[in-house]
Amino acid sequence: MRISLESWPSRVMALLLGACIVNGVAVGADQPHWVVTNDDVPPRVATSLSFFAIGMSGQLTLKNRVLLGTGGIAGGYFAANRVNVLDSGNAECVYASVAKTGDILGIVLKTLVVGGSATGSMQDTGASNGVGLAMNANYLYASFTDSNHIGTFSVLPGCKIKFVGDVSVKGLQGGFIDGMAIRGNIMVVTYGDGSIESFTISSGMPVSNGDEQNSTGSRTGNTYPSGVDITQDGHFAIFGDTSPFTIVEVSDISSGKLTPTVVFRLGNKMNSSDVLLSPDETLLYISNNQSGTITAAFFEKNEGKLTKGCVSHALKGFDSNWSYVASMAFNETTGTGGVVYIAEYGAPSSIGEVNVKSSGGKCTLTESSHSPVVDGNSPGLLSIGAFPPRPF
Amino acid sequence: MQSFTRYLLATLLCGFSVVCVEAQCPARPDPGTVVQDPLSIDSVNGVLNAEFTMRHSVDSGGYNHYCINYETAKGEVEAPTLRLNQGDRLILDVKDRIESDDDSSGMAAMDMSGVPICGDSGTPTLSSTNVHFHGLNVPPICHQDDVLTTLIQPGKPAFQFNMQIPTNEPPGLYWYHPHVHGFTEFQVNGGAAGALIVEGMEKLRPEVDGLPERVFVLRQQYLVPWVPGPYQLTINYQVAAGPTFPDPIIQMKPNQKEFWRVANATIQDFMPLQVQFNGKPQQLELIALDGYPLDKPRFQDTILVPPAGRAEFIVRAPSQDNVATFMSNAYATGPTGNPDLQQELAKIQVSSDAEETQAKKTPDANSGSSVGPIKFTGLDEVKPTAVRNLYFSEEFGGTNGPIQFYITVDGQKQKVFEPNEKPAITTHVGAVEDWIVENRALETHAFHIHQIHFKMLEVDGKPVVDQDLRDTIEIPFWEGPGHPYHSVKMRMDFRDPTIAGTFVFHCHILLHEDMGMMHKILVLPK
Repeated sequence: MRISLESWPSRVMALLLGACIVNGVAVGADQPHWVVTNDDVPPRVATSLSFFAIGMSGQLTLKNRVLLGTGGIAGGYFAANRVNVLDSGNAECVYASVAKTGDILGIVLKTLVVGGSATGSMQDTGASNGVGLAMNANYLYASFTDSNHIGTFSVLPGCKIKFVGDVSVKGLQGGFIDGMAIRGNIMVVTYGDGSIESFTISSGMPVSNGDEQNSTGSRTGNTYPSGVDITQDGHFAIFGDTSPFTIVEVSDISSGKLTPTVVFRLGNKMNSSDVLLSPDETLLYISNNQSGTITAAFFEKNEGKLTKGCVSHALKGFDSNWSYVASMAFNETTGTGGVVYIAEYGAPSSIGEVNVKSSGGKCTLTESSHSPVVDGNSPGLLSIGAFPPRPF
Repeated sequence: MQSFTRYLLATLLCGFSVVCVEAQCPARPDPGTVVQDPLSIDSVNGVLNAEFTMRHSVDSGGYNHYCINYETAKGEVEAPTLRLNQGDRLILDVKDRIESDDDSSGMAAMDMSGVPICGDSGTPTLSSTNVHFHGLNVPPICHQDDVLTTLIQPGKPAFQFNMQIPTNEPPGLYWYHPHVHGFTEFQVNGGAAGALIVEGMEKLRPEVDGLPERVFVLRQQYLVPWVPGPYQLTINYQVAAGPTFPDPIIQMKPNQKEFWRVANATIQDFMPLQVQFNGKPQQLELIALDGYPLDKPRFQDTILVPPAGRAEFIVRAPSQDNVATFMSNAYATGPTGNPDLQQELAKIQVSSDAEETQAKKTPDANSGSSVGPIKFTGLDEVKPTAVRNLYFSEEFGGTNGPIQFYITVDGQKQKVFEPNEKPAITTHVGAVEDWIVENRALETHAFHIHQIHFKMLEVDGKPVVDQDLRDTIEIPFWEGPGHPYHSVKMRMDFRDPTIAGTFVFHCHILLHEDMGMMHKILVLPK
């Protein structure tokens, strides 16, 4: 049964409204660097994408807001990132999902206007925990976290997309699809119940590699793969666990299939559901969702090994102004990323800015003096992205 | 179909739709009125024969009511108290007349393929029901206390439960509620629960002899039960949500002693109960827990009753000058648990003119037949035939709270309950086992097993002073890294041949149960 009662009106509304420029800042040919937030505003009020310009020293300034129609939910899975940035050839787009309606909209970065939108099939829904996105230049994949489907959409010029089809998935213990990442011809997903699976996406639609398995860490009964990232060469899949500790698991996928994960305990901060490799793949950033901190671990990309690095202090406002941290983005597309931006879930939400320094096997994560920046448009921020995006 | 989708559908279809069905349930008491005992139905000549009709409506505040109705000359009343003696027969006809939006018929709960059906065929939905007799030590078979295969579908002829209360059943307070996997929380959240009393407490605990007796069923209602957020407690269906609403009133005569029988029929509230005079907790004389009389009464000022637990205790009313309240204190459920807040359940109004409670007085201990040995006696002298380790765990992956709930036998794979699963534990009649249940989650859980009571032996590895017989017990949340897991050790008695069969153990936070924090145990005949 289709949950989305509002998808058609919301789509129309989004297309009609297009961009709403709140600060009167024109979008010119000289594209600024952006941090983009999926504001996930609950129904009855329009939800939106907010565009924060990245300043010279990494500080953020709210510049624009693009309305997406109604249908946010102000929450859901940490690891289902609902905003994705495409920077491929002439295509500069931001794609975002609206949880309740299941709509996926493409926004043209040059104009900040909705270029197109699409929904999955009647059975696809992520209405209570969100619709995660992952994409390459040809296809966008949507994880419908309630109906347990992966939708495939072909990417068209003008930031449009077209629904191709969906596949039904399920964790070994009945889990729901949670994290999802793609690289080359492989897609890796987590199910939140300890199990993980990979798919071949060479022909567009994901086809299971038949390697669904429980992670090594999940056997302990308190750690479960949630978020996932994949190295640039597609050698390793890196899983951030939802766990009372900082736990990351790594699987060698160089054969095109998952292998048993190796568990790395990297600290005692609670929950590690979001993970993001730095552009140079020397650091893995871990969002400690329930501790309000970021952990950085050193990553050895040839061996797929992680060693302890550094941990930030609890970011400003944790437990008073906001309650969870979630997805991350960078202000630089090289090196360690320079500044890590992190979604801070609250009402209103905010974006934390954390400066990274790394040399000689040591690192520091220091929150900037102007952090956090309030995202007054979001009562429940979990998903952010950056333009230009990390190169892989 | 996935659980959250199911819940979402339920919410969309009924939760916010105040016009989706006409009122089928009786009006509930106005706030600030005198708390009335539930209607009692007594067995006559060894038989209690009654007919219940399950209905549904939505009130003006948007709360779903699921009501277990009993027809009287004055109309239908909700969830009467069933009163039986040891050895009596309970014959209960249950009709399902829940009317919901037609679309709810598509809300399939579980894959029931391969599961034998007792009662009506078809897929379980939010409109399906059945009855679990919580705490009763009766057979887990069709037409008795079987929740795994019993299904009562809307519009079908009445389903008959027919069982004998064992002659050695402990006198005390039990309760009944629906238990269709996947939908239990919704129906109990809607109020579908009532008390069942096995008479004879005064014969084992003469302290209650001749005292005025009250039955309080504490319930909890959420607008949408799976969404963490505000809730209301009720006492015998009267909202206890002060200061927003005026407090319910319990009238007592000054200094009068009464026997209170309190069932925690909430879907997830751990209730540290107190009676306070002028803000000061009073000593309560605890008589029984979970329907099992204590070896000897004990005095305590707080009685912690987990969801599904019961406490029976003697309260002495204050003198006329005191302000007295019946309270449930706040209880810490852990970082991922729902907050259980302090709430005044009722104001105790003291007056020499107070009406006698309309409930019965406990009979004279010397009247009627005597009570012989009750079940589960002498368990501490029995050598266990097996020791098992189990643990609760859960996965917290987002803002909507934990998303996977497990109870696992150590060494087995974590998995959520499936109706067609094989038993996680197989034992045999005659076995006496020690189970150690650990909580590895950041949330307190309430362990419950059907068909038997268990004897409490240890908490956190240390012997307990009060080795009470329970059927539901709280296991506190794990405080996190650097802290050990909390645990309880219990002696499980499978000696009674009448409980042979397949039944379940689970967390009695009903969302957790519905989401699969439950497994089967098979007790093979000897």
